Amino acid sequence: MYVSDFTYLRPKNLEEALDLLQNKDDAVALAGGTDLLVELKTGVRLCSHLVSLADVEEFKFIKEDEKSIQIGAGITHSQIMQSSLVKEHIPALALAASKIGSHQVRNNGTLGGNICSAAACCDSAPVLISLNAQIEILDATNKKIIPLEDLFQGNKINTLKKGQLVSKVIIPKTGKGTGVHYEKFGLREAMAVSVVSVSVMLKIKNESIENASVVIGAVAPTPKVSVAAVGILIGTPTHLLVEKSDPILRVSEAAVGDSIPIDDIRGGAQYRRDVLFSLTQRCILKALESAQKNV
Amino acid sequence: MKKIININVNGDNHEVAVRPGTTLLDLLRDELNLTGTKKGCELGDCGACTVILDGKAVNSCLVLALDADGKKVKTIEGLAGSKHLHPVQQAFVEKGAIQCGYCTPGMIMRVVSILDENPDPTKEEIKKALSGNLCRCTGYTKIIEAVEAAKAYINGMEQPEIEYQPQKSALDLSVVGKRLPKIDAPDKATGKALFTDDLAFPKMLYGKLLLSPLPHALIKSINTKRALALPGVKAIMTGDDVPDIKWGTSPPRYDENVLAKNKVRYVGDVVAAVAAVDEETCYKALQLIEVEYEELPAVFDPMEAMKEAAPRLFDDKYENNINTHIDHHFGDIDLGFAEADHIREERFVGNRTYQNPMEPHCSIAEWDNHGRVTLHTSTQVVHYVHHQLSRILNLPLGNIRVIMTYCGGGFGAKAATTTIEVMSCFLAKETGCPVKMRFNREEMYLFGRGRHKQYIDLKIGVKNDGTITAVKHKAILEGGAYSSFGIVSAYYAGSMLTTLYKFANYKYDGYRINTNLPPCGAFRGHGCPHPRFAFESLLSMIADDIGMDPIDIRLKNAMEPEYRTCNDLDIHSCEFTACLEDVKKKSHWDSKRGNLPKGRGIGIGCGGFVSGAGYPIYRSQFPHSNAIIKILEDGSKAMLYIGDADIGQGSDTVLAMAACEAMGITMDRISVVSADSDLTPIGFGAYSSRVTLMGGNACKMAGEEIKKQLLQAASEILNVDANILEAKDNKIYVKDKPEISIPWEDAGFAYFSNNGPLVGKGHYSPPKGLGGKYKGAAVGTSPAYSFSATVCEVEVDMETGKVKVLNFWDAHDCGTAINPMSAEGQAEGAVVMGMSEVLFENEVFDKNGKMLNADLHNYLIATSADMPEISSTLVDSYEPAGPFGAKEIGEGATLPILGALANAIANAIGVRIFELPITPEKVLKAIAEANKVNSDS
Repeated sequence: MYVSDFTYLRPKNLEEALDLLQNKDDAVALAGGTDLLVELKTGVRLCSHLVSLADVEEFKFIKEDEKSIQIGAGITHSQIMQSSLVKEHIPALALAASKIGSHQVRNNGTLGGNICSAAACCDSAPVLISLNAQIEILDATNKKIIPLEDLFQGNKINTLKKGQLVSKVIIPKTGKGTGVHYEKFGLREAMAVSVVSVSVMLKIKNESIENASVVIGAVAPTPKVSVAAVGILIGTPTHLLVEKSDPILRVSEAAVGDSIPIDDIRGGAQYRRDVLFSLTQRCILKALESAQKNV
Repeated sequence: MKKIININVNGDNHEVAVRPGTTLLDLLRDELNLTGTKKGCELGDCGACTVILDGKAVNSCLVLALDADGKKVKTIEGLAGSKHLHPVQQAFVEKGAIQCGYCTPGMIMRVVSILDENPDPTKEEIKKALSGNLCRCTGYTKIIEAVEAAKAYINGMEQPEIEYQPQKSALDLSVVGKRLPKIDAPDKATGKALFTDDLAFPKMLYGKLLLSPLPHALIKSINTKRALALPGVKAIMTGDDVPDIKWGTSPPRYDENVLAKNKVRYVGDVVAAVAAVDEETCYKALQLIEVEYEELPAVFDPMEAMKEAAPRLFDDKYENNINTHIDHHFGDIDLGFAEADHIREERFVGNRTYQNPMEPHCSIAEWDNHGRVTLHTSTQVVHYVHHQLSRILNLPLGNIRVIMTYCGGGFGAKAATTTIEVMSCFLAKETGCPVKMRFNREEMYLFGRGRHKQYIDLKIGVKNDGTITAVKHKAILEGGAYSSFGIVSAYYAGSMLTTLYKFANYKYDGYRINTNLPPCGAFRGHGCPHPRFAFESLLSMIADDIGMDPIDIRLKNAMEPEYRTCNDLDIHSCEFTACLEDVKKKSHWDSKRGNLPKGRGIGIGCGGFVSGAGYPIYRSQFPHSNAIIKILEDGSKAMLYIGDADIGQGSDTVLAMAACEAMGITMDRISVVSADSDLTPIGFGAYSSRVTLMGGNACKMAGEEIKKQLLQAASEILNVDANILEAKDNKIYVKDKPEISIPWEDAGFAYFSNNGPLVGKGHYSPPKGLGGKYKGAAVGTSPAYSFSATVCEVEVDMETGKVKVLNFWDAHDCGTAINPMSAEGQAEGAVVMGMSEVLFENEVFDKNGKMLNADLHNYLIATSADMPEISSTLVDSYEPAGPFGAKEIGEGATLPILGALANAIANAIGVRIFELPITPEKVLKAIAEANKVNSDS
């Protein structure tokens, strides 16, 4: 295998990077390379300019302010797993990061790269979307903030335009009574692409669900919020959310109803629905458990 | 355009010019000659290329060299000091964690990083942390043990004790029966061991093959003009440029062309070959070769292929695409079934799986000016490569030298001669330069020679007491486009069903069918695992039907020593019953069976294999294994020259141990040269689990010849009769008065001084006349047979169908284990490989015959995180035909796994899955259907 010819550019900082991405033909940003190099080697992707973000230190931070946790796009999955801020405020994100690829892949692969690859089976997005995360998109002249959901257009297609880069992910802090959990189903215990994934966020107030989000992964061209499932969850008394209870089954059915899975070598569409049904139940119970602990 | 980078590798600063697309892996291997870091998949799926970059373990295949500018890299070469191995390396060597050694450097680097991050990981943490590094040989068991040992070394803790009860047959032996580290392990642990792709020669070119994109087509024209014009391209060859000779593996079925002649028969068939200054130029040239095809209808399903109107792969042979048909009938099955009280027939379907040795195939050919060609290659069988090259190149064997380098695993994938072995010779001749050719992972799958998918109709009749009265077996093997080993696979699929249980009436109807898919061949257990899976499944179902314990029905019919099977195979030593009793006891079978909660299950499966095929692949009177031992002039070292091949299974070590035992010296006194056709006498190599018994006998004989001569020399020094002398532990002494002795080397020195070179020769041929007289009677014959049993326990997630394998308790009759640590390693590797085949593995093709999962990302093999607890026992056994009582274990150990796991799953979910692989999707579907049937009734 080989990587076909390209011009390698290594900007010293963010400004230079944005300038190169804007002005070079067919320029692609290289973050951790764990997806991009595979695509280049297998010939799925060609590019004439590769803009390495190796030296762009502006992307490499995890910080907090009053309202949010902010993670730079250049932060690796391993750094997310180890971050005390993440562990404290968004443990489900650390859990999701731990399910990506292998340790070696997590050491190089970045959060920005993972979401920009925009795979339907992306492991970091469901948790983030369930927390209403936003992303900052920069180009040489502008900056905008959009919901992470809006980055995903189709399987492996993002909505970025030429010259644009995702610079950070902004995750609103959750209040007391909130719990998030991520469930992933892959075909082996490690290094498995998600066949189905679910992230559930629940916020409890007065013994019932005040706010919720259910994001399903690998069962549609993009990670997807199950609006129907959320609709059922909100207002449900927590004591009704027990194994095989009627509301929990209805929520899971609703999540399945919102899925549009395909048949592929990892599983048929119906199988994905079946697993989604079970995974959603488990995920709700685990999210509830952590919400109840978080008082 | 090259750019200059500065990189610090293992403490040394390097200033190197690199191309933009060069990966860190290629920089290390090609520019800095640090070939310890291995190239396994090139896509970040296997971890073989793991290095530590600025303190973190990364896959160097997914890092651009330019991105590593200014960084610090640590590779396997930087780990050991000049005198001592790193504790992790030491532990890998001592614990038997290294087999083929190809995953080892990456694995060791990862372990170093694990222990850096957490000096005291738990076993579960180790299993998870290592899951990015695939190993196909060891089943990870001894690797985990090594990590625990390394942890103890580093933390200054006590080493965990190994509990091992030596076999009775080895109690009086000095070397055989000892748990010794493999002799090649230190070189493999340090990255010093050179695999073919680690070699480079002056002026060396690279070669690549153009593969057919179509499953079935006529070649109308090939235009190489544009490709030849590409700078750096040195030669392009097509079917017109190579001899018009058919080749393959099995002489009655030589049906492959060196390069396609007019027709291609599968996506991956070989159309042309190019040699150029580097691989990148080769790839670019391939894209410039214009081939005009006329597409033909293709057929992928063997049932379809057998129909009258189906497209034919070969116009001149294999009518209805039936490549091989076998019709065997022993005893009288009508009579047998008439005697039965209960008869059951079921259809089982296997899966198309690929061996996936971690090392991709690689060959380098170079011609000298005297008309001799030397081929370095990663093969299991030097002699068969030698033989095929002699036919194809039309040269006597003496003008061809085939050297096996270190070989990174085979499992059958490197048993057949490959196109790159042949084409590197032609391209080297054409260009006058050495030519290296390697497969990438995708090309490995497309060259194929993996396991045939079998469709099996099996019928067994039993009496009320469980006695088997008749067996009827029909197998259809989907064979792919060419024959390769397939004719033998088809025979094995039938012949080996008779060796475990005694029954007199047996009918086997076997068909091997050509389809427009990659050719199938010999994969560990050759032809037998799917029929054995079917048999073990059906036998357990029948036991349930008649209310008998599945182990009891096996004990009732279990093979016994000195038995001739209905198809004329002669069983000698057999401790099958001991294996069954051992696993029954240690698994707590009686208390678990029937008492486990829903979703948890336990199952038994059994297996066994030949200890080497009784007859060679092509007619030949040569002894199957041959050894020469030469003693150094000062008596300090024995050099063992053996043609058989160490592909990671540890044969160099085992054969050296047999030779040392026979000579009376310790293992530090021997060095091994193996599998080099110039230096070593012919050996039939590593297939059919033949090396321990056959190579071992040859080495033992050579050793005994040395000993006899040495005792004579010693008798002259000691002035006693040679008959009263013995050699052991580097001494020659009077048997009754051990205090009268001389050092072994003194006798060697004296012998050489008086007589010139001290040489011992040994050879082994299976007994003449093995087997019956019917057509195909040769396949399945062997001097000895192994036996094994395993109990498996699983937990099934009833809502997703996912199977978690908790335990395998296995027991093996492999005769005397020459090296018990290596034998266990074979068994553990077989468990995890078998489990992986049952749960994960399957080649998938689209409707145009293109493989959809020809990588390690989508074709899943088990990781360390998937491995179960494994408890292997080697039962007491002695095989008179084997060296010091030894038989095989490598392939036989795979055979019980499939049935045991399938039976455990059936026990857990209450419903049977008849088709491999047993995926979560199939499990969930089976559970749902069973629930539906239950609720309907």
